[in-house]
Amino acid sequence: MQFAQLSDRVENNGSNGALTDLRALPGVWINSNPNTTGIARMVMSESDGQLSLQTFAVGPDGLIDWGSTPVKLFAGLPNSQVAAGFTCTYDFGFAETELQGMIMKGLLVLAQFHRFKDNSKRADYFVREYYALEHGQY
Amino acid sequence: MDNTEMSCEPLEFKQNGHLDSALLDPTTVSRAEKLIGHWVNTNPDTQGVAECEIQPEGDLFSIRIAGVGEDGPIAWPIARTKPLANLEEEAGQRTIALAATFEFGFMKSEIYIRVNKGVLVIVLFNTFQDDSGRANYLNREFFYNVAI
Repeated sequence: MQFAQLSDRVENNGSNGALTDLRALPGVWINSNPNTTGIARMVMSESDGQLSLQTFAVGPDGLIDWGSTPVKLFAGLPNSQVAAGFTCTYDFGFAETELQGMIMKGLLVLAQFHRFKDNSKRADYFVREYYALEHGQY
Repeated sequence: MDNTEMSCEPLEFKQNGHLDSALLDPTTVSRAEKLIGHWVNTNPDTQGVAECEIQPEGDLFSIRIAGVGEDGPIAWPIARTKPLANLEEEAGQRTIALAATFEFGFMKSEIYIRVNKGVLVIVLFNTFQDDSGRANYLNREFFYNVAI
């Protein structure tokens, strides 16, 4: 078994790498920063064991719906079946945005990579924001 | 798709952040000092990344990573990447972040690097591309600069 670091090296547990416990991710995620100029909320939905993300960002006239995109899931360890994070990409034509999310104690830490493909001379940029799950408990 | 004007050009956007005037400021991606240097994992028992060396190479930055191996460090392929403006402020100044992909064949690691209060943070998303049955997994590690 090849590895680039010791944490890659685990025994095959017969799961074929599939993540079966997706509980931590589905729901409505709300930005902890009410003054964000970026992603306000995200809706993670599950269908037939697959997750997809719908993203709403702050625009000048209200929220802008980016639509839904499938997500790629990541565990906390290579022999775990519990989803601990995800990545996905939106291609807007003039720009591409990659999202990388990880769950930490119930908080979603979202790294965003915005890369411009037009001639606007805007710098590609990185943002990290925090999101809480709407749980309705209190 | 919406359009609006910033300076003299109509700009496409999908969020207000795309219209931040700092994105057109050439100094926004110039503050790299906090990332440069030799960084060592704060956790001496890590089973992940042991060390990271970041250096400027023209308009790019080179990233040299050593993973923890059985008999010593495992050198990863060198990655070179252009800086990303980081619109968050660190001690009242905007800094940069780096994102890179390390391709091993059997696996690829997509990482991003930023500095927070003098601590280098590396977040890794590891995707296995072989048939080993391992789950794709993520990790976050912290590093201190040995020059300080």
